[in-house]
Amino acid sequence: MSETATKRIALDRSSRKGAPQGTPPAARAKPRRSLSDRLFAIWGILVLLFLFAPIIVILVYSFNTGRLLIAFDGFGIEPFLTILNKPAIQNAVWVSIRSGVLSALFATAIGTLAGVAMARRPGKWVGWFLVVLVLVTVTPEIVDAVSLLPWVVFLGQDLGLTIFNDGIFRLVVGNSLFSIAVVSYIVRARLVGISESLEEASADLYAPPLRTFWRITLPLAMPAVLAGGLLSFTLSLDNTIISSFVSVSGTTPWPVYVLSAVRSGLRPEIASVSTLMLIVTLLSLVLVAWVLKRSGDSATEIARTMAGG
Amino acid sequence: MPKLRLPKATLALPAWVWLLAFFAAPVGLIIWYSFGYKPSIFGTHANDILSLDRYAEALSPTFFSTFSNTLWVGVVGTLACLIIGMPVAYWMAVKVPTAKRGLLIAAIMIPFWTNFLVRTIGWQIILAPQGWLSQGLQAVGLIDGPLEILYTRTAVLIGVIYNYLPLMILPLFVAFDRVGEPLREASKDLGAGRLQTFLRVTIPLARPGIIAGLLLVYIPLMGDYITATVLGGAKGNMAGQLVAAQFQSAQNWALGSAMAVVLILTILLSAAVLGLIIWLATLPFRSHYRLRLGAEA
Repeated sequence: MSETATKRIALDRSSRKGAPQGTPPAARAKPRRSLSDRLFAIWGILVLLFLFAPIIVILVYSFNTGRLLIAFDGFGIEPFLTILNKPAIQNAVWVSIRSGVLSALFATAIGTLAGVAMARRPGKWVGWFLVVLVLVTVTPEIVDAVSLLPWVVFLGQDLGLTIFNDGIFRLVVGNSLFSIAVVSYIVRARLVGISESLEEASADLYAPPLRTFWRITLPLAMPAVLAGGLLSFTLSLDNTIISSFVSVSGTTPWPVYVLSAVRSGLRPEIASVSTLMLIVTLLSLVLVAWVLKRSGDSATEIARTMAGG
Repeated sequence: MPKLRLPKATLALPAWVWLLAFFAAPVGLIIWYSFGYKPSIFGTHANDILSLDRYAEALSPTFFSTFSNTLWVGVVGTLACLIIGMPVAYWMAVKVPTAKRGLLIAAIMIPFWTNFLVRTIGWQIILAPQGWLSQGLQAVGLIDGPLEILYTRTAVLIGVIYNYLPLMILPLFVAFDRVGEPLREASKDLGAGRLQTFLRVTIPLARPGIIAGLLLVYIPLMGDYITATVLGGAKGNMAGQLVAAQFQSAQNWALGSAMAVVLILTILLSAAVLGLIIWLATLPFRSHYRLRLGAEA
């Protein structure tokens, strides 16, 4: 009796398995291009054009030979050559790169540690820590900016901690807050999705905790660490509001230079520098995507990692 | 195993210390300043007499009108990002073949990784009365005179929608992608139409992503004053500009601090109200039982 029952179940299963193989493949194989699919595609492409419009404009206007950026005069590479005679611009870009690299390294280091701790040592503290991270993320930049200014002035002048009078250090502090939160999220998200068994195996094989961290945990988290580091770097390059408050004259970062130019009059060199920076950013993006791809992540996973989900 | 357990929570210690020192402490400081006053022309703040006067000053009519303006731009901009971004995210996650997705995601992100300020300047060029768009529209005959959008609230709105749209598309994409083909197929097999599947399966499951997208756009947008500075002019004032001016030109840190606190409270409160409205509005579409994805998805 039980035999027939199992047989019937087996039959049931096979028929159920067989059923979907019968009809759908043919239906699926032919590309159905319904009207709604086309509308979605058209909308998507329109939005992409919208997203690229000002960038294309900046690319074109970076060859503007006129005196003012906004009035296109002629096409030429003069604005690019002008950069060579403008130490203020070179200095601003250099300040941005230095402070960006430093804050990315710093934020990635302590953000990774925090992310690992959250994923591997869950407890009540994680809730509290997440509250702080969420607060950092949701506080508008302008509030961070106006609160950091009195604070660094207080630390640097009233308490005499001279490091807070250093322009680059101030920028690193200003850039680091949001970046730390982003790196912590991304690293945590990555490690939460990976079981702890490898680390346990490593510990069972008598690896000391530090070696387990270097040889197992960190390599597992690496795609997230890289994505987080790159995100922090670009976030720092982009940081305008906080930078404009905490920066010291002499160490003006690039966005703050542009912001002051908005008030005093924009010249075409600004677009040319942006074009050069865009090329550099794109190259570094391609590099990171390539590294991530080599480590075996699919495109969707890369996006997921970068979006912090 | 107990050997391994020792030091790990302490890994978060540097982040704790840093965030307390450079986030919690400074914000605490301006909350403290907001109860003080500006002592003289040269002083920026004093706290020997504590009062709520700066808050009364902060809620003046000019400030109020700027705030309502900010709120309008914030709400309309966020909703516009949702309406524009949702079909794009859905298209990328559902309609586009997997192989092409990476390229599209990169395309969405490239603008996002170009300098914020420079992109906004790009819009200044596009929207200028003597710019290409204006000339093109005039040539086609859609408008009679030069385009008069620049330095108005509309320009600010276009600018913020542009600047924050990727922040809406990416979490929505991740959310739609997580829902996955099988659940939609199952819904169709059980007799649901396309719209019903979208409203009763895809949307409820993508809700965390939708909420994340709304917050990611709304909060920085409300605090943004760069876009308004570049595209807004006098008519498009945003609250962030007022706060900044108290610190940078008026040198009244007490009033500026009070305004900053009011700004945070407005953002949190309005986000809560918006959340409530959205929750109520979607109530009819909600199924009676809860649909949830596995933790590993």
